[in-house]
Amino acid sequence: MGKVKIKNLKKSFGELEVLKDINLEVCEREVICIIGPSGSGKSTLLRCINALEVATSGTVEVDGNDITGAADKDINKYRQNIGMVFQQFNLFPHMTVLENISFAPVTLKLKSKQEANEKALKLLRRVDLEEKANVYPEQLSGGQQQRVAIARALAMDPDVMLFDEPTSALDPEMVGEVLNVMKKLAKEGMTMIVVTHEMGFAREVADRVIFIDDGFIVEQGPPQELFGAPKNERTINFLNMVL
Amino acid sequence: MSIPELVVQNWSRLLAGLAMTVELTIISLIIAGMLGLLFGLLSVSKKKSLRAIALVYVDIVRGTPLLVQAFFIYFGIPAALGIRLDANTAGIITLSLNAGGYLAEIFRGGIESINKGQMEAARSLGLPYSLAMTKVILPQAVRTMTPALINQCIITLKDTSILSIIGIQELTQTGRLIIANNYQAFEMWTIVAVMYFIIIMILTKISKRIERKMSYGKSEN
Repeated sequence: MGKVKIKNLKKSFGELEVLKDINLEVCEREVICIIGPSGSGKSTLLRCINALEVATSGTVEVDGNDITGAADKDINKYRQNIGMVFQQFNLFPHMTVLENISFAPVTLKLKSKQEANEKALKLLRRVDLEEKANVYPEQLSGGQQQRVAIARALAMDPDVMLFDEPTSALDPEMVGEVLNVMKKLAKEGMTMIVVTHEMGFAREVADRVIFIDDGFIVEQGPPQELFGAPKNERTINFLNMVL
Repeated sequence: MSIPELVVQNWSRLLAGLAMTVELTIISLIIAGMLGLLFGLLSVSKKKSLRAIALVYVDIVRGTPLLVQAFFIYFGIPAALGIRLDANTAGIITLSLNAGGYLAEIFRGGIESINKGQMEAARSLGLPYSLAMTKVILPQAVRTMTPALINQCIITLKDTSILSIIGIQELTQTGRLIIANNYQAFEMWTIVAVMYFIIIMILTKISKRIERKMSYGKSEN
């Protein structure tokens, strides 16, 4: 059964129709990369999956729960299983790195403070930032901040991870360290949906690449196929521009 | 009589007046803080009707003079409802409502100054709006609001002097009563002014210290 099932998803901002009819099923342990020109709706699609954007019509099911029509209380519950990593990191500046990571599990009373801190330290080890546990986010580089943000999302033990252009705000020399953490995560079997401009990452890590343009999924397939032998003219044009 | 002599002679009365000023300020600011937070939160609500309530309140407070507000609450409302309101209560209500309106705007500005991504990050972790607001947004907002909050405290402290007009014996009214006996207007108003000045300077110093302490992580390293 699919982890994430998107059916006939439409999203408009006022007059502007950003997502026109999206159908997508993501399986457990699958890594999906969403590519496409800016303004094509790929971030909006991602944000509809955890209801940061409210779909205009259609359904988004995660783990069998329809998040589009759910009550606020249920949405909060569903979101606990959907991790999200943002382009701008969005770490909480008034908390230390460790507090950032243990904050949600403790505040939602899912773990005791001690349990959460132990888990946070474990996660920091995973993203190779153990020594930064007690510093504040502003003292970290962009790449380090993004790795903490990944650890923060993982602290909720999510079933699915959403990445919204996680390396777009980074200096070039820091892109690699973040992508490496994501690669490790993919290898461990995390279900991941990644909006990205990193074609190398998509080629190497994705099980399936989705090309979105103008609110539609134009083409999708395994990376060798989509990058090696794109069929649609718009895909070809886009790849010619970015590769 | 010289100023030092006047100070010595009237010391206990002046001090009582100052105590009343400080008491009015503190009580009013506590109530105003709650009103400000409440209406500030309403004004950033997604619901239009809630925003409208906050807007009306803030507009009324800002659109009318404090003196008129004091008269309305001390004379107007009791006349309409046939009740009696003592001056201190009326004064506290007036100052609370007044400062509450300005504080609501300060809270709104503080909350809106926090990057939208902070709320989204908190919500994406599964936190309900209320927890995201109280644990993520407000702690950051209060930090950015600190200078404006302190400014409002000082304004409210000075605004207590307007309440002398409805007969509250705070510092200004005390000064007037003393002058009514000894006619030494220059000396007495100098003393009163210096007393206001000193207490506000003390407040300013304390607030500067708080402000420094509140910047993230910096002071702790």
